[in-house]
Amino acid sequence: MNKSICIVFNKTPYGSQAGRELLDIALMAAAFDMPITALFVEQGVYQLLKGQEPDILDIKNHSATFKALPLYGIEDILVEEDALQKFNLNVQELVEIDGLKTISSSHAQSLLANSDFILTL
Amino acid sequence: MATYSLLVTANPYSSQGQLSAIQFAKTLLEQGHELMRVFFYADGVLVASRLHAPPADEINLTKAWAKLAIEKDIELIACVTAANKRGIVNVAEAERNALTGNNLDPAFEISGLGQLTEAMLNSDRLITFG
Repeated sequence: MNKSICIVFNKTPYGSQAGRELLDIALMAAAFDMPITALFVEQGVYQLLKGQEPDILDIKNHSATFKALPLYGIEDILVEEDALQKFNLNVQELVEIDGLKTISSSHAQSLLANSDFILTL
Repeated sequence: MATYSLLVTANPYSSQGQLSAIQFAKTLLEQGHELMRVFFYADGVLVASRLHAPPADEINLTKAWAKLAIEKDIELIACVTAANKRGIVNVAEAERNALTGNNLDPAFEISGLGQLTEAMLNSDRLITFG
């Protein structure tokens, strides 16, 4: 059986390149037919916020690329419910991605415990 | 005994990540484990430049990696996108981008992110040093 990867987005989008560089890893790993989960926790939920305009800071906008995850075969796109609440966000404010689900923190923990590889930057 | 690969994203001289990664690599080999590949990504690629000249009484991280790679036959691979962006180029990339020079240390190779995925497929553990 193929090994599973959980890619954890836990940082805001433009203060570091972490989000974009993790996204590149996710898209590449998808080509290898490994089961991949994209998990957004803590401040990482801001990666998915709609209406970002980083171009005014001369930074490339990668948020639209998250919408392509299902096209690459990454169907488990999970957002930590507690993080949304903590930052006063709701799912309607996030970019529309097919199959996006919110999960509890304990579900996120068990997911991490059961993944063969966990990647974050 | 297990097969390991490492993902190194730490900036070489600003943080301890690269040093920890080298020490971890040495220790796991001493303990009889296998180290398949070290993949450098994000700021971690900066260590692949052969032009670092730290003071003589400080460690040269590039040479430390190179020594390990040569003695133990380990692949050191830097992500091409991350490297090009940060001015780490081999001869081919320098020509392709019409740059005036190249600086990749010969112990390192430039390749794609697929090498990271492949490292996960073929290793029991991937440890990140950021």
